[in-house]
Amino acid sequence: MQNIAERYTGASVKRSEDPRILTGTGCYVDDVRLPGMLHAAFVRSPSAHARITGVDVTEARKLPGVIAVLTGEELDALTVRGPGAAGMFSAGLPMPSFSVLATDKVRLVGDPVVLVVAESRYLAEDACELVVVDYEELPAVITQEQALDPAGPPIFEDLGSNVLVRSPVATFGDVEGAFARADRVVRAELRQHRHQNVPMECRGVVCSFDLGSGELTVYSATQGVHIARTGFATQLDMPLEKVRVLAGDIGGSFGLKLGAAREDIACAAASRRLGRPIRWIEDRSENLTASGQARDESFEVEAAISNEGHILGLRVKMIIDTGAYPGLGGMLPEAVKGMIPGPYKIGALSFESTAVITNKASYIAYRGPWASETWVRERMIDLIAKELAMEPLEVRLRNVVTRGEPPLQMLTGRSLVGVTSRESLDRIAALVDVEAFRRRQAEARAQGRYLGLGLATYIEAAPGPRTPGGGGGIMGPEQMRLRLEEDGTVTVFTSQMPHGQSHQTTLAQIAADEFGVPFDQVRVVVGDTDVVPMGFGTGGSRSATMAGGVSLHGARALRAKVFEVAAHLFEASPEDMDLAAGAVSVRGVPARAVPLGEIARAAHEPGRVPRDLEGDLEVTAEYDGGEGGWAGGTHAAIVEVDVETGQVRIERYLVAEDCGVLINPAIVEGQVRGGVAQGIGAVLLERSAYDPDSGQYLSSTFMDYLIPTACEIPRIEIEHIETVPLDADVNFRGVGEGGMIIAPPTLCNAIEDALSPMGVRVTEQHLPPCRILELIGAIALDP
Amino acid sequence: MSTFDVELTVNGTPRQGSVEPRRTLADFLREDLGLTGTHLGCEHGVCGACTVLVNGEPARSCLMLAVQARGADILTVEGLANNGVMNPLQQAMWESHGFQCGFCTPGFLMQITALLVENPNPGEEEIREALSGNLCRCTGYESIVNGVLRAAGHDGSPPEPRH
Repeated sequence: MQNIAERYTGASVKRSEDPRILTGTGCYVDDVRLPGMLHAAFVRSPSAHARITGVDVTEARKLPGVIAVLTGEELDALTVRGPGAAGMFSAGLPMPSFSVLATDKVRLVGDPVVLVVAESRYLAEDACELVVVDYEELPAVITQEQALDPAGPPIFEDLGSNVLVRSPVATFGDVEGAFARADRVVRAELRQHRHQNVPMECRGVVCSFDLGSGELTVYSATQGVHIARTGFATQLDMPLEKVRVLAGDIGGSFGLKLGAAREDIACAAASRRLGRPIRWIEDRSENLTASGQARDESFEVEAAISNEGHILGLRVKMIIDTGAYPGLGGMLPEAVKGMIPGPYKIGALSFESTAVITNKASYIAYRGPWASETWVRERMIDLIAKELAMEPLEVRLRNVVTRGEPPLQMLTGRSLVGVTSRESLDRIAALVDVEAFRRRQAEARAQGRYLGLGLATYIEAAPGPRTPGGGGGIMGPEQMRLRLEEDGTVTVFTSQMPHGQSHQTTLAQIAADEFGVPFDQVRVVVGDTDVVPMGFGTGGSRSATMAGGVSLHGARALRAKVFEVAAHLFEASPEDMDLAAGAVSVRGVPARAVPLGEIARAAHEPGRVPRDLEGDLEVTAEYDGGEGGWAGGTHAAIVEVDVETGQVRIERYLVAEDCGVLINPAIVEGQVRGGVAQGIGAVLLERSAYDPDSGQYLSSTFMDYLIPTACEIPRIEIEHIETVPLDADVNFRGVGEGGMIIAPPTLCNAIEDALSPMGVRVTEQHLPPCRILELIGAIALDP
Repeated sequence: MSTFDVELTVNGTPRQGSVEPRRTLADFLREDLGLTGTHLGCEHGVCGACTVLVNGEPARSCLMLAVQARGADILTVEGLANNGVMNPLQQAMWESHGFQCGFCTPGFLMQITALLVENPNPGEEEIREALSGNLCRCTGYESIVNGVLRAAGHDGSPPEPRH
């Protein structure tokens, strides 16, 4: 192990990804070139809901350069129906049957209907223009009310209605008693609007079926190659072993690029049919319209409170709009139910939920998919504070759990050991100086200026507390292979699939420290189902603990194995081995040191070491999350709202976060800032908008779907709190999702505070200038 | 469809091709010349990922046709490093942890290159204004702004909070 002073872990080591990214020599899926490669484009539905009455591809097939035109019916015969990879999120839920491309009906604007394969993308799009699809329009189901209407047209006939799943009331604690004892009850209907991931790189795939071997190779922009492989193998009815998925650099995802998309399956089936490689690169209009969207939920909440600000009980009813093709959306209410008490001592809870299907883009994961629990809770706390004329910070401090004091368990079951919400609230309070702000706010109001302070706190199970019978990793253990090479470097094979998170840097930092080699002598291999271990891939803020932990334990195991081999060469004991400057020696005899590469070579040469140590100097390690623990933090925003224009200016944005031990502070802070920026975008700019009558999608370009620029995102002040360690070795926690989970309530709370002189109550999350002007009564409400 | 010959200079090297009039400069660079460092993020001129320098001026290569670039001097991200050695802007971005996924990166680097020619010592507000036509979804922009400040000769540490 390195001396502490020389350790890479904890230092803002420069990223090993950057030399290729900064010089234009990375390889994204759109950069893959295969001999004979063809190009795909899709004919997509112009309607939200319609029956397909005819598909005529005659003219398209005649166009020179067009190789194949495959209708939904034709692809249906080449593939297996189902939810595909989206089904991994929805085990046990009702699931309609649907084809890879639309056959009977189209269920959203942008639903793929026909696949065209041509010599170039230009020709493929030309041919799409020549395809004629006849539709019989059906009423569009767009709003929750329409979806809940039993008289509405069922989007999937085999489900019978547009209610996917209705979960009965679950209660924790004495709810009726809490409401009977309450001094007051605060009620609100809260809504989180639909918005979406929008990575700068759209989805894409290159599928290459080899007629000779019967093997399919797929180059994919994906968060996990093994999950993608399962999706392809299942829907193409191929043995897993005949499918290889490769991934290179990935231009962001935030939850979008999971599994094998319907378009991906269609391209793979076409490649198998044609025996030629096919590339499909989604364009931005397809991406915004049909790739998937997130965060479309409404809540009815009642809070039973005491006059001292204690939350005695909550009643919550949730409706989630899962869009057209069911997947993740159906199971999210369970996650929301489990997390809604957060780090607070809430006395009792009742929770019920309904998931509906609509003619909108399918509900997908987006950076903290269950985040509505935090939005609802942190908004309610500010509404409670308003009811009691208390400082919102004070309500939080009266209810938040404190380390070392009971109860250290969430009402819904999980242990809260190690949660530092109290510490982060205290830290933010000190940084902001709430009393000083209130004086400044009053002075500004006297001058007709509207300043507001908002804060909010969250916790995330990243990885989560240790569970009975298992470790802290709630999504299962993580594996890694590590090998000492003949040039003395260490190769790490991980199922992590970084798409901006810099795992090729952070995992190397940890392995270098634990094994005892320089950082640049660790190579992290990702993105190839033939060589990386099985695993989920990257998501759920689990990489830091799970992959970081297995990197540490794996490097330790590899070092022990190297010492065992070296001990034979020296005819000494492994305990007496020492590693320094890239060479192993018997402790105290550095002059006879053997370079690491020589030890790897010795293991490869027959007869130099015992048979059981011959071969690759390699270990396979597994890590279950150890003691686990929570990530979390408190954010604060100080805003000024211009009541003439409705513009919100963020004067200051502060973060006190706890992701345990920092592996690379610059990378942690990049994750925090990026998440906050997406949260600011969600509140001030972004909305996936549909016409409620026609179901037309209204946000299909970057002129309509606005994401923040450098002019909208302020500098973000970050302080790190490092939790008291729970685990003997691994106290890294996930930090990818937190910023996006907590920034929306933080900002909404600040905006409501700024507008409190006008009596404004914020019950929705999307607050662009026009909405703010509506809320303060400057312009008429949009009916 | 008829094709037209295009001769131009890319990263200091004379290049030529024969293209349909509708072929974008971005597709010509990426598909015909194999310069895949330039990325396409929206193909409607908003995100800026495809920005290249045309005769020293930033241009959206998704909105420009290859035939419009006849005779032009084009600089792409592949032309920034010298014999494999990153230039000072690239070095500054590396030091500053400027980017994450790297997809918007080529457009930012080209836009910043043009900015620093025009104004070698820009302030933070000028930098943000100059980069407001380039979208990044990963970073929240602060690390990119710090990278520009560092490239312009500042030490790259963030300024004191403004409050």
